[in-house]
Amino acid sequence: MKFKAFLTDNGVNLLEKRFLPALEKMGKICHLYLTREHAIFLHNLLNGDGIQSIAQFRKEALFDDYRISSQNDDRIAFAIDLSLLQRALRSIIAVYTEFSASHSGGAGGQPSNRLQIKLVKKLPPHSQQPMPFLTFESKGYKSAVIQDVPISKPLSRSDVLELQAALDMAQDMPRTLVQVPDMNQLQNFVDRMKHVGDLINVSISKYGDLHLQISTTLITLGAEFRKLVRIGEQADMPTGDQNLSAQSRTDRAIQRGDAMTVQVSVKHFFKSLQCHLVKPDCAFYGIAVEGVCLTVIFQFFIPGTRQTDKSISLHCRLPVLDPGSS
Amino acid sequence: MSSSAVEPDSPDLVCQLDSVQGMVDALTSVRWKRHQCPKIFDDTPLEVKLRFYKDAVVELSEHGIVLIVEDTGCLQAKVYLQRELFVSYEYNAQGRPRFGVSLGLFVDCLNTFSVPGRSSTIEFQYPGPDMQLLLKSVDSLDACIYAEIRTRIPDTISWDYNFEPAGSTPLSFTVKHLHKVDPFDQVSYKKKEKKKSLIVDVLRLNIAPCPKSSALKEAIDDLEWPGSSIQIILQPVPPSVTFRGEGHGDLQIDFMYYVNTDLLIAFNCDRRVAYRYKYKFLRATTSNIPSSVIKDNRGSKLTIGLGGMLKVQHLVSLARPSHPHIDSAGYQQPSRIAYIEFFVKPEVDEDTGNGS
Repeated sequence: MKFKAFLTDNGVNLLEKRFLPALEKMGKICHLYLTREHAIFLHNLLNGDGIQSIAQFRKEALFDDYRISSQNDDRIAFAIDLSLLQRALRSIIAVYTEFSASHSGGAGGQPSNRLQIKLVKKLPPHSQQPMPFLTFESKGYKSAVIQDVPISKPLSRSDVLELQAALDMAQDMPRTLVQVPDMNQLQNFVDRMKHVGDLINVSISKYGDLHLQISTTLITLGAEFRKLVRIGEQADMPTGDQNLSAQSRTDRAIQRGDAMTVQVSVKHFFKSLQCHLVKPDCAFYGIAVEGVCLTVIFQFFIPGTRQTDKSISLHCRLPVLDPGSS
Repeated sequence: MSSSAVEPDSPDLVCQLDSVQGMVDALTSVRWKRHQCPKIFDDTPLEVKLRFYKDAVVELSEHGIVLIVEDTGCLQAKVYLQRELFVSYEYNAQGRPRFGVSLGLFVDCLNTFSVPGRSSTIEFQYPGPDMQLLLKSVDSLDACIYAEIRTRIPDTISWDYNFEPAGSTPLSFTVKHLHKVDPFDQVSYKKKEKKKSLIVDVLRLNIAPCPKSSALKEAIDDLEWPGSSIQIILQPVPPSVTFRGEGHGDLQIDFMYYVNTDLLIAFNCDRRVAYRYKYKFLRATTSNIPSSVIKDNRGSKLTIGLGGMLKVQHLVSLARPSHPHIDSAGYQQPSRIAYIEFFVKPEVDEDTGNGS
């Protein structure tokens, strides 16, 4: 089982500034799943109850000179602590950029400094048992810096198969997706909203409406966003519904089969909004077929264009607490 | 001729406010105990929840809205939101409708309507079809926030906080929140610590100036150290206010009127008075002053009334965030201010030295 690659500057930037801070909010521990073509960060795919998040990078998005081999179809997966990974990466970047900066003015030589990442087994101090690590290495001008991030034992063949199966399962697309108008503002709003209750009802209609509501015996607090950009199945709102209250408009749309409602944990919903730390270009919410989960899909554009960057993808699946009415 | 019976369906009050943050600030300053509003669990029985949320009484009238909060019959706070603060105010009730509402829930809910950097207009309606308090945002057609808060039949106010002046001249002083810092003559601290058999005298001449905090709040926060009961002494010669705490140590904080007129901007006292107040109640009067009030720096006025009843007044600006120049120009619109008053009963104490 071998893995060795060099992190590109773009890859360093993507991980350190954008993805690791966001993924850490999903949960401290995640699986890193490496295949011949992809590196994938996975949260809660093997244990059912938390929010699932799937951040997938094509190898070119992060690495060059990417080499992987294993007896399991060149697939390796292990659990890793994201905060340790982030700290290791930060410290190594500090050395790396310092060295690069001191050499950038040089006489056009090939930058010899590169940031290597590899899987190793080492004997930790005071231990007889070799342990697996993900190691970062950067050779400086006078010194080399090595950061070892402890990882779990690589997953067994059957666990990797299970992980792959869960990943395949998590690719279903909701029939209708609505675009979040202002991620920051919505996050701010839900942050305040979460003080009044623990469960939130999320309704999404084919008319492009997103309706959020927390309802307890003491208070009902809701927000309705209308005429949002839609992807997938669409319908026009019947004219009579324009002047109704948000609640009755949603109820009628559900009766007509034009909308679905699911109940999720406010905490999960807030976490899904925190994903905007990855600086996506847009975000879409949708309810999976038969209301099995609430899905949020983030879209990334190739810089300077409006074309989707297919080498990066991120989506989350929020477990539904009550099947609701659909 | 015109009677409310003509329109039996019209609610008691429909009003709109364009400074939600100002209202959040005003109500936050009387929300002195966070644990009055624990998190709601859906499986908590309703009666238990209602006991948790036993906190504020709201009274509606043609003049505006008053919110009253009480604590164990010794502390009462009132927030006055006059009708002039509202963009529109349609009052249709006879008498003065009152209802009970969870203050914590109400503030948390209102806070949801206040989006930073944007003035948001909110509409209140009472009662809704099931006696709820209804709120909704009205400034955007394609995004709407709404809330329905359950109300209760209010508790009776346990004692009457009739505040009466203590004599012909009022006994009062006004403390500016922020002031120029002079390291030597501002506030004097005398601290005596009892350590085993030794008595250590510590004299501290100044508090570290904290630009975000208020002088009064800092002084009261510092008094936490000596103990549960604080004596406030006003005396005409030399004109000064003394806060004295005695417990496992003594701490005395003096505000001298003539020494720094930037700190005490007003002082009225014709005879020496001294009363004791429970520390936790005194602290409640300043512990939640929002930073906007401190920045506005209108000062807080403390008055001692008949029998030692202490009144603490704060002013909260409800100006729209889009017009900050109003304050910087020194022009303060009187109609955009919410008044907050705290009343604290003194401790029963024979040895107060207030004459006979």
